[in-house]
Amino acid sequence: MKIKYIIAAMATCMLSMTACDGFLDQEPDKIMTDDQIFGDAVMIKSVLANYYGRVTWGQHVADWGALTVLDEAAYCNGGPDHRSTFEDDRWRVYDYTLIRNINQFLSGLRATTVLKDSEKAPLEGEARFLRAWCYFNMCRGMGGMPIVGDEVFDYQAGMDITAIQYPRSTEVELYDYIIKECQEVYAMLPAEKQTNSARVNKWGAKMLEARSALYAGSIANYNNKMASPIKTDGGEVGIPASKAESYYKIALAAAEDVIKNSPYLLQDKRPDDKGLNFYEAVCVKDNNTEVIWARDYKYPGQTHGFTTQNAPKSHAEDIDNSYLGVVLNLVEDYELINTSTPGQKSLIQTTENGTYKFYNSADEPFKDRDPRLWGTVIYPGASFKSVEVVLQAGQLIRENGSWDIKTGDLNSKDEQGNLITSQNGPKESNEQYINKTGFYVRKYLDETPSSGTRGRGSEMWMPRFRMSEAYMIATEAAFELNNDKAIDYINAVRERAGVQPLTTLVFDNIVHENRVEFAFEDHRYWDMKRWRLADKIWNGNNNDEQARHRRLWPYKVVAPGDPNDGKWVFVEDFLFMSPNARYFKMQNYYNFLDLGWINNNPKLVKNPYQ
Amino acid sequence: MKIKIISNILFVLAFLISLTGCGKDNYDEPGSTLIGKITYNGESLHLRGTGEAIRLQLYQDGYAKRDPISVYVGQDGDFSAVLFPGEYKLVTRDGNGPWVNTRDTVVVNLKGTATVELEVTPFFTVSGENLTVSSTAMNASFTINQIVPTAKIQRAMLILSKTQFADDVNNLFRKDFSDISVGTVSLSADISGNADVANAEALYARVGVQAVGADQAIYSEVVRLR
Repeated sequence: MKIKYIIAAMATCMLSMTACDGFLDQEPDKIMTDDQIFGDAVMIKSVLANYYGRVTWGQHVADWGALTVLDEAAYCNGGPDHRSTFEDDRWRVYDYTLIRNINQFLSGLRATTVLKDSEKAPLEGEARFLRAWCYFNMCRGMGGMPIVGDEVFDYQAGMDITAIQYPRSTEVELYDYIIKECQEVYAMLPAEKQTNSARVNKWGAKMLEARSALYAGSIANYNNKMASPIKTDGGEVGIPASKAESYYKIALAAAEDVIKNSPYLLQDKRPDDKGLNFYEAVCVKDNNTEVIWARDYKYPGQTHGFTTQNAPKSHAEDIDNSYLGVVLNLVEDYELINTSTPGQKSLIQTTENGTYKFYNSADEPFKDRDPRLWGTVIYPGASFKSVEVVLQAGQLIRENGSWDIKTGDLNSKDEQGNLITSQNGPKESNEQYINKTGFYVRKYLDETPSSGTRGRGSEMWMPRFRMSEAYMIATEAAFELNNDKAIDYINAVRERAGVQPLTTLVFDNIVHENRVEFAFEDHRYWDMKRWRLADKIWNGNNNDEQARHRRLWPYKVVAPGDPNDGKWVFVEDFLFMSPNARYFKMQNYYNFLDLGWINNNPKLVKNPYQ
Repeated sequence: MKIKIISNILFVLAFLISLTGCGKDNYDEPGSTLIGKITYNGESLHLRGTGEAIRLQLYQDGYAKRDPISVYVGQDGDFSAVLFPGEYKLVTRDGNGPWVNTRDTVVVNLKGTATVELEVTPFFTVSGENLTVSSTAMNASFTINQIVPTAKIQRAMLILSKTQFADDVNNLFRKDFSDISVGTVSLSADISGNADVANAEALYARVGVQAVGADQAIYSEVVRLR
């Protein structure tokens, strides 16, 4: 008995002395050393790809709902959307985690010996560009925020954290920092075009410089023209008016550099079909000469559901469709080609001599407009993938000597077999998958087969910088500097688009041109903010035709024997889906700072109205 | 047998423990009430009372966190908050409200119920309003009193609502007028063809005046017309 215990005890002792044979000793495959990363081009790419995947903010193509926030499109997927005001954290960016990660990348890159200096420069340029882009997105929402430089903060228990609590920079300092970073990385980055414009080159950096300087210049200019300029005592928000001129000069010089020296061109390959040309310039990657930097998508793995969600019902490839309806507010802004007032909106006539105005075809009010309308919006009678998109709310019938409107269910027919209401609608309903405004969106809608399925998704990119923005930045900066070149730059954009050139240029023409050229491209909100127009346009008045979404519904005339039989009429109304007008309050010009950040770092001062 | 006794004891113990607990970590609910109104010369101001548009901030010193407690102001300028007893600092929110942005602190010692009047200087006030509505038009005559000599009028608004909440956002009908000057004003707005107004079972009216640079308008009292 005792012997057994002794043997057992000895065996245990001996076992405890073995082990550690080595079969558990493995190099970790989740934690890499810097040299492992920088010694391998594929690893470097995958680290950068991670950063590129984290810099999509604001309105973007993978978030269709964000396109309903402004006055471009309305929510159609269900019942009314009661949105009116703008959230205090609307499109707010505060990503010091990303900045820290980029700084870790930079310090590793600079220290490593496995790369030559010439190989390091473009990588450093790319990382620093992405960091500047992150700061830019923070700055346009909140004004000046802490600039941490290249520092990588590490916290050890017990350390004094007040040393790493940085106060906010001024708005001027942050814009200056972004501009300086862009100028420095410009020399490091390659000049050549990149595959699908997915990675940035020096022209992307130049565009960010131009856009930052333009934003800073317009805040210096227009903020100080307000009755009570928005600013803080420390300058975290607000730029002195005296700085406007120097910022506009930087913006003009940077934009002109891109126009004159870059390999990009205003894409103008189809003189006979300007609408399709505009669609291709923005939405087709192959042989694109227009787009400088984009958020690219690629199957498998990197796709989004924009086409699935927003295709017309008649063209849907999956159960989803018709989430977005473009509103009349945007459509009317595309001017008539032969208008006597170029550079302004042209209203659509729906009545004439006290009765309906009769049009010969469903697309008559639209087809002679700025071809960018075709490239941006699917209007009644326009085609998608070469098949007409029928939008018909109902019939206009003749009864007892007066006109009457007759509507039915989707895809309903009368006794003679005439269509009453199209399967696409528009129709007044609280159900999903029905268009409710009378217009579909075309921009970003992918024509590739099966890109509209839930399983595959779309590879449609979203351009962040494209050539016509360089022209529009040059236009605006030159205009504010009283430089005569302004009109030539805006006319270059208008000529490519296919509308009349302007003979004189006023500020409202620039506002209008940006709206129609860059609809849905994350420009409108920031433009209205920096021009300090947002509170005037989105004034919260439910009877205001600019502030509230409007619809335009087409009806086909079915009145055998009447001279107007077979023609079309249109009925305009406020959109029942958007019962509230957009209401931009003074406090929305700058996001509020989260109180949690202030509790963590008491040196952060609050924004105005907070 | 022994095991059964032990398990029974454990079971009873566990049951007893489940009855105790929750002693120290809960506070009683706050019991003190702060009631107040926003005044000018002792008279309540009429404001926008919806959408959390006008709010005050209460701060309490001596804690690590400095988040203010928001206090929302109703359309007759009144506000209230249920709080723990203590000393609070009451301020207006930066740039918020139709008054001069001074942000003077009012110290409130709260124990039981406290009443405060927060005195502000509005840019304008509205008085002597006479609001009527016919089938085709809304008519309003009222007096705009200039309080701050440098203030300018951005717009005056005529507002109709089907509920007693009537302001620049909550309404059936709103018409803005610019080029308005101080003194007695008579305004008229065409409401013919407005089905919402014609069909409303109840109808309330109000006028508002917004100063240039102010984020909110000052209003008249709400009057029921129908």
